[in-house]
Amino acid sequence: MNSPIVELACIIDDDSVYVNLVKKIIETKKLCENLIIFNDGKQSIDYFEALLQNLDVDNIPEIIFLDLNMPVMDGWEFLERFTKIKNRFGKVITLYVVSSSINPLDINRAKALSSVEDYLIKPVNINELENIFKTGT
Amino acid sequence: MVKNEFIQNIINDDNIGYWELYNNTSNWSTAFIKKLGYSVEDVEINLDFFLNNLIHPEYRDEFRDNFFNLVRHYLDFKQLISIKCKDGSYKKFVCLTNDNLQVNSVKNAKVIIFNEKKFKSSEKLKKDTFYYRESAEMTSTGSWYVDFKKQKSYWDFQTKKILEYPEDYIPSLKESTKYYTPEYLQLASNYFFSCATTGTPFDTEIKMLTAKGREVWTRAIGKAVYNDNNEIIGVRGVFQDIDDKKSKVETLQKTSEIIASQNSRLFNFAHIVSHNLRSHTSNLSLIVQLIDSVETVEEKLEMIDNIKDISESLNSTIEHLNEVVTIQTKTNDIKVEVNFNSIINSVKKAINRIIRESNCIINTNFTQMQSIPYIPAYMESILLNLITNAIKYKHPDRDPIINIKTYIDANKKYLEVNDNGSGIDLDKFGNKLFGMYKTFHYNKDAVGIGLFITKNQIESLNGQIFVNSTVNKGTTFKIQF
Repeated sequence: MNSPIVELACIIDDDSVYVNLVKKIIETKKLCENLIIFNDGKQSIDYFEALLQNLDVDNIPEIIFLDLNMPVMDGWEFLERFTKIKNRFGKVITLYVVSSSINPLDINRAKALSSVEDYLIKPVNINELENIFKTGT
Repeated sequence: MVKNEFIQNIINDDNIGYWELYNNTSNWSTAFIKKLGYSVEDVEINLDFFLNNLIHPEYRDEFRDNFFNLVRHYLDFKQLISIKCKDGSYKKFVCLTNDNLQVNSVKNAKVIIFNEKKFKSSEKLKKDTFYYRESAEMTSTGSWYVDFKKQKSYWDFQTKKILEYPEDYIPSLKESTKYYTPEYLQLASNYFFSCATTGTPFDTEIKMLTAKGREVWTRAIGKAVYNDNNEIIGVRGVFQDIDDKKSKVETLQKTSEIIASQNSRLFNFAHIVSHNLRSHTSNLSLIVQLIDSVETVEEKLEMIDNIKDISESLNSTIEHLNEVVTIQTKTNDIKVEVNFNSIINSVKKAINRIIRESNCIINTNFTQMQSIPYIPAYMESILLNLITNAIKYKHPDRDPIINIKTYIDANKKYLEVNDNGSGIDLDKFGNKLFGMYKTFHYNKDAVGIGLFITKNQIESLNGQIFVNSTVNKGTTFKIQF
């Protein structure tokens, strides 16, 4: 089997069941080498803002899967702050919003943001996830 | 004095003012002199005095010409003149001579009749009064006037009717405080005095008080009255009874508030259904996909464990959903007198362990209001939620102190729960505080359902909840019942 194209992926989601399942899929399908997981927007934005101080390419994920409804700092606030620093990493970071919200207002609002590659509605499809990892970056 | 037969014949009414000429002698009727406010001693009955002292200069020349034409050439005339009264004001008269009276004149006898000119005939006035009364009644609009010179107030019949005063009631500025409800008295007097001093007209809605002590909504309009020197000499205006309209608007507003709060509860309900239930079902479907894609039986079995987790979360979401639904149905429960002390005691008993473990001190003061009619289960749930919240989000550096008190302010009943906890950044989370599944802390047991339920319980009984908080200092929840 070929080694995965994606080195590092990042999941930002407070639903531990979902996170475990996606982790399981990624492991079984060998979709990426490493995975970092955050339970809410605050932890993850702190990580990214700290990364700017010490740019280490290995620690910068190529793909981010971002949930919207989270405690402390939700996905929207994360996006607002992430968009401001996104271009300073010297690396292409592809961000997918992954939410169980089927509200068209949420979908359109997210898709309208330049930093959002696409909006995935939960449950994610395993094949779709595989495709993203193989071609999406 | 000359008083010829001719005059006698045609003028048998003593109230008519006339100027009689006979052989170059003049005579003015007493009625004419009196009408102008003079006595016989005040005047000289001749043409020169009339022209120089009585007639308004504007009409002098025309009258003189007419007069001489009458005397010398027997030419009749009819003209409008203005004559000065004793008090300095002018009265308008129509002058008529023989011919215009359509009687045969006796030679050498001439007479000028002075008919006072009224601006409106009494017939027309009667008609106008009728229309005015009709429109005042049909529009429930009464008028009023405050005369500063005479220091008197006037109300018309309709104003008295609206304010339930008898027909013979005499209003006065001194008593005006009792015409308005206490909460509108200041506003009414501000409008009135600003109109009386600076001439600012007003058109506003105020709640007035009738003689029977009934409150009535009126539209009050007023404007200043000026004299010739542009000084304000009074204020006049109208009161319109708009009580019907106003109470309809108020009912409508209340209804729309109820609808809005029900709508927001429904919205939350829809949110739980669409978002929280969906997140569980989507996890379930993800597991099914995974079970299909893994090869070994061990791996498949491993997936079953996840199903257990999902089923638990699904269960608790449905329980929350049930709590929200219960609020809508319980509002029909009968309220009973709920004693704050006994409710607090049962809450303390229920969470005895966490109070003890956190060294929490709870101070209560229910002296101002010991009990209120409420649904006991709600009161218990509200206090339980607020107290456990205060303990859950206590400040890391100090033991929690909770102060609970009740009071009455401006006829409204309040319950206040204050803590010295870590506080909430209201600028950031204020609008989400009472939302469903919103948590602002890293606490493991933050569920985000408590305040949502609390708010819904309070609102379903037409109350309101307010919050005030300072980060690191503490939080105060204020409930208005």
